[in-house]
Amino acid sequence: MTTATNLRQVPFLRRFMSFTWLTLGVAALVMVWSAFAQPSILVNTLVTGGMWAIMAAGLALIFGIMNVPNFAHGELFLIGSFTAFTVFSPIQDALRDDPSLTWLKVIGPFPGMLAALLVGALVGVLLENLLFRPLRRRSREQWVMNTFLLTAGVSVVLINGYRLTLGNNFRGISHYWDVRPIELLGVPISVDRAAVLVIALGTIALFSAFLLRTRTGRAMRAVAQDETGAQMAGIDLNRIFTLTMAVGCGLAALAGASLLFLFPSFPDVGLQPLYTAWFVVILAGLGNVQGAIAGAFIVALLQNLTITYTAVGWVDVVPTGVIILILLFKPSGFFGSGVKGVWEQ
Amino acid sequence: MTGQAAAPAAGSAVAVARAATLRRRAGLLAVLGVAIVLPFIPPFDGEDYRRWLVGAAFMAAQAVAFDFTAGYINIVNFGFAAFVGLGGYTSGLLAVDLGVSPWIGMFIGGGVSGLVGLLTGALTLRLRGIYAAVMAWFVGLALMGLVRNLPDITRGSLGLSVPLLLDTPGNLPYYYVILGMLVITMVVLMAVIRSHIGLAFRAIGQNLNAARASGINPTRYLVVNFALSCAFAGWLGGFYAHYYGILTPDVMLTSHTVEVLAIAYIGGRGSLWGAAVVAFPLSVGVEYIKTQFSTLPGVHLVLYGLLLIVVMIYRPGGVAAAVRSLDAWISRRGRPVVPEAPPAT
Repeated sequence: MTTATNLRQVPFLRRFMSFTWLTLGVAALVMVWSAFAQPSILVNTLVTGGMWAIMAAGLALIFGIMNVPNFAHGELFLIGSFTAFTVFSPIQDALRDDPSLTWLKVIGPFPGMLAALLVGALVGVLLENLLFRPLRRRSREQWVMNTFLLTAGVSVVLINGYRLTLGNNFRGISHYWDVRPIELLGVPISVDRAAVLVIALGTIALFSAFLLRTRTGRAMRAVAQDETGAQMAGIDLNRIFTLTMAVGCGLAALAGASLLFLFPSFPDVGLQPLYTAWFVVILAGLGNVQGAIAGAFIVALLQNLTITYTAVGWVDVVPTGVIILILLFKPSGFFGSGVKGVWEQ
Repeated sequence: MTGQAAAPAAGSAVAVARAATLRRRAGLLAVLGVAIVLPFIPPFDGEDYRRWLVGAAFMAAQAVAFDFTAGYINIVNFGFAAFVGLGGYTSGLLAVDLGVSPWIGMFIGGGVSGLVGLLTGALTLRLRGIYAAVMAWFVGLALMGLVRNLPDITRGSLGLSVPLLLDTPGNLPYYYVILGMLVITMVVLMAVIRSHIGLAFRAIGQNLNAARASGINPTRYLVVNFALSCAFAGWLGGFYAHYYGILTPDVMLTSHTVEVLAIAYIGGRGSLWGAAVVAFPLSVGVEYIKTQFSTLPGVHLVLYGLLLIVVMIYRPGGVAAAVRSLDAWISRRGRPVVPEAPPAT
């Protein structure tokens, strides 16, 4: 929003007076405080925040480049968790039969996660080629709303297709790595959670490097900025869109696979990750990938504060209220969005 | 074309339009007539089928209220089911705790839903379409969370037993009540659409900036439309509560919104009657399929989802557009041979 107060005209103060920085500062202070008062809040925030960051980054990427608000993002989480379960359970059985296979104990979970990433990417490619491309060819009128409804249909079909074919039962594991928890800030933290954090940070780093440093990444950012301009510069839009769906959906599936020990695979498992990712993306500003990564940790902090100080059931209510309040002051989201012009029509 | 030739052509165009309007009215009355006698025609005269017809009329009325927002101002109210549930809970709690008659409670429920819709709309509708849709979804999630987490008031997931609307065990009287509510919903909303307010709605839905440029204050109209749709949703929710006699937070699930949304879009966005007409065969057919395949949970939602996807990609106008083009074909055939009328302005 362009309404700047006088104080914000002062170059030095501008950075610190802005609503975004104030809120970020508050979030940082709460995190520092929680490190002393309730270290578990900080640890849980980092772990869940990392995975929400992966989910939300994929969502923001798909929106930023294709202008598709993906309502089926949670179902990619479901596909990821199911794939990981399918691949990991034979490995788990092998380990149970022969506990001396130390090497398998260490690398065992990774094939499942990799498979989830690939299957998720494949589903993304299929979605682009079977659904979005025909629609794009027919009409780009009211594209954002139409694709939102289209993906809502996809979500319903995937959830209930899963229920039809695989039933309502839970497919989960209690842990990926069967070892003693490590201690961080005096909080025992399971190796699975620590691994999730490492995987999340590694993925974010790779993903950022891909977007910022490679030629293809630059082409993707160009399409996000100006589709026609990118096309004139010789970028193959269909290729970029397919790649975007592959990366975005693959990331969501990876999140589902990594969190299998927390979220067992069942038809509605994608719901909470879906709306959490949406909280993040709305908070950060639609289509803003870096903002989504930062926003994910803020939402995770809100959720963990809610869980610690009220009952678990309020975890949907309190963050929603806070986000609505924030949007009152900052309607275009926390960090704004560089792609507004394309989709605001 | 000279003025002399244009005058009779324009005159006949008016006549043709009048004939088309008459045909449309006659068609709607015929459909209503069929709906009135339907519960006496075998196989629809069984209690099972009559119960399905009540459900179908309830779906139809919801889809009409939903289409009033989605089809005209192009805002998809993703929290629609929550507003239906809010009206139901308001009416139910008034009846349980204060002994208010369900007939009055239904209207109070509608008022409360409308009020919450007004607040939601006032907060979110100055944002662009997709933000408003997602924020309505968040508000819906928060409402569902509230109902779940306040078991002292709402009995939470245990379910709230609510007095029935009529003291007959049969479904037939309920069917006529909900059919009457459907007709009222359609008549009121169609009257609004025909008025100058409706013209503003359509202008905003088609091109917000053009509407703003021609002196319409979009936000005010958007909020009025949204609140009105929510009020009808709450009123219908009151019927739901006092027909089934039990309310659980699951009434507010997003999947119910998607069901209503699928029917509204299959019927044809921006037509009101398309949704109402399509709801009957779809809803009854789906109930039939549910009983045939009781071992396959969720099969009806897969069907809804697939239909929604096909409509979104290939037939954006839905059934209403198909009927309109049939109607145009009849007009062309019944018309005397005159020079081609100038394109309508």
